[in-house]
Amino acid sequence: MRRLLLLTAFIIICSTVYAQSQRKPPAGFKKKAKQQQNSFLDKQWWIGLKVGPNLTKATPETRYSVLTPTNYALPLTDKQYDGFKKLGSQATLEITFNYKGIGFSFQPTYRLSRFSYTNEFMWDNPENAAELLELKYDHELKVDYADLPFIVKYDITGNTLRPYIQGGVFYSLLVNANKTVEISGTDFASGGTNELSSEPVIVGAKDLFHKSYWGIMAGAGLHYNLGNVRLVFDASYRIGMSNVTDTKNRFSNDRLSGIGDALDDMKTDNIVLSIGCLFPMRFLSTSFKSIDR
Amino acid sequence: MSKYIVLFFCLFALSCANESDPEADKANFVRIYDSDRYNTSFNPIDMQQTPDGGYLFLGSRRLEESNFSGAYLMKVDEFGAFVSEQLVDEEYLNPVGDLLFLNNKYYFFCMAVVSFQTQLVEVDTDGAIVEVYNVGGSYPTAAALDGSNFILLGYDNGSKESVVSIVNETGNVLQATGYSVGAGDAVEEPIINHFLRTGRQFPFQVGKTSGGQYFYNGFYNYTFSLVFTDLGGGGLGVVQGQQDDGGISRVIQLNGNTYATARFNFGDNYFLPNASLSTSGISSSTDLGGFSLPELVPNAPVKILVSNINEKDVIIYASNTKSGQIGIYVYEQSTGEFLGSKYLGFSNPFEVNSIINTADEGIAIGATTHVTGRFPRITLFKLSSEELSAIF
Repeated sequence: MRRLLLLTAFIIICSTVYAQSQRKPPAGFKKKAKQQQNSFLDKQWWIGLKVGPNLTKATPETRYSVLTPTNYALPLTDKQYDGFKKLGSQATLEITFNYKGIGFSFQPTYRLSRFSYTNEFMWDNPENAAELLELKYDHELKVDYADLPFIVKYDITGNTLRPYIQGGVFYSLLVNANKTVEISGTDFASGGTNELSSEPVIVGAKDLFHKSYWGIMAGAGLHYNLGNVRLVFDASYRIGMSNVTDTKNRFSNDRLSGIGDALDDMKTDNIVLSIGCLFPMRFLSTSFKSIDR
Repeated sequence: MSKYIVLFFCLFALSCANESDPEADKANFVRIYDSDRYNTSFNPIDMQQTPDGGYLFLGSRRLEESNFSGAYLMKVDEFGAFVSEQLVDEEYLNPVGDLLFLNNKYYFFCMAVVSFQTQLVEVDTDGAIVEVYNVGGSYPTAAALDGSNFILLGYDNGSKESVVSIVNETGNVLQATGYSVGAGDAVEEPIINHFLRTGRQFPFQVGKTSGGQYFYNGFYNYTFSLVFTDLGGGGLGVVQGQQDDGGISRVIQLNGNTYATARFNFGDNYFLPNASLSTSGISSSTDLGGFSLPELVPNAPVKILVSNINEKDVIIYASNTKSGQIGIYVYEQSTGEFLGSKYLGFSNPFEVNSIINTADEGIAIGATTHVTGRFPRITLFKLSSEELSAIF
């Protein structure tokens, strides 16, 4: 459903871009517009939509585990995190004020982030090699955030194709979270080699995450002025600066505690890619022409 | 202007600050203490919070060479992190609770491997065995603190008696009184099966009321009964069960003749958070009524704790549900009114073994879970008063 909405939004944007580019201005206002253009274009408001994928990496700060070893090393219970492996997505409303090539941008974003980790455990009997059980727990987390980033952009050149760099801070509000756990393994103790697998356990995990976190970001992008609108391709790296785990609710989910899982204290980084289309909010003329000197 | 910007960013950062919180880590946690040995099993019997804020577990472990279980001690810190364990020598079998705290030492009873004579084991606050005292008598089933002495309930298979003894901290028996379980082998069979763990585990208990009367929950006159006694020639008060199919599951005195108790009857379970028990003469546990708990396993073990949560005096019941969870039921102490419930555990089955108040006004629950559904392991649930008060 979400993908369908994103596709619909993209089609609407493309149609608008095409329509705007086909529109021809009346001739009577050309001269006056030309005179005002230079000073006018120093300032502009842009509004538009961006969508795209993201990748997430979780970095544990303090490790936690429900399963506490009494006769083997504690690090064997450590989770193995997969960095930047699971594709998420986001949709952004961009509002930017440009002044002489510097943009001040507020970009509220709805972001789905996905990341995963695994645990592996083994139980054996040194006196009886047949008594051996190996299990692997695959955990995948899907976390929805409403991001509120404040970004400063700088246009490197001022042509039709305008590369820019950007940096800023963001504040992310937790919207929802789910966790999927799949257990697989091999049981050698039942008289043969028995490959085990279970149906995924899917649990709501919103309580396990802190209601917000913040971070800093930097990136680069390209603006392409097409007709009267601006297409944008944008890439940024976001560094989480605060713990995303709710320290008070770490053990509150009985289903996860029951299978020996507790979230580590961790920070998350994201690679965010977006494409979209921005519309000017100030116009040079009734022709709605606003850009392209 | 710049100081306002700095202030804004400070407030911004603080608003989502969520760094590691040691106090929260101590107040709420779940730990499953796992051994990677396929053929080992550990079950907690009782636990105590140690003066350093950690927890000391008395447990039992499976022995390859004996029908009885062996003794196991484990020390964990205030965060529940594993500190040390003692696989007590296989010379000492069948450990029983409570784990008793007296003069900065912990004590528990068990029995010797060949003679089956009762032993008193002294343990320091780190879980190391200091001394073992021979007590005599046989088949210990339950123990409690009595001032600077211990009350011990045992079974004498020679005279076929339930024996209540007063034992001092060096294992000397100061007083002992036997109560016949009845003649014949039939009445002894479920008792021996209890020890061998091949039959029903009976909720043996022993203690002393505030009025100075002793009581034991065990076999008397062919029936599993709650027996009140002065350990002398005075008359007995007997709350009879239904042979070995009914009786009292657990009892805690609130005041006078008012008790928080639970009973079982042919598999059914009943909670009585505010019951009047007759401590003289003969009465029947089936006449006590109580709240029926059909979600509990048949003849469920029940633990009862008098506690104070958020300045409210409450009685907390903990027992095992048919769905493999631990049910916690909270009642108001003064009225016996039900306040709320909470269920612990999921996926793997959990069984309650002990429940204690903790220094931070929360509670800790010692339990057994079966890791991956097959390995019995000791579990510690630590619940804060905040989490408990959310129940009601």
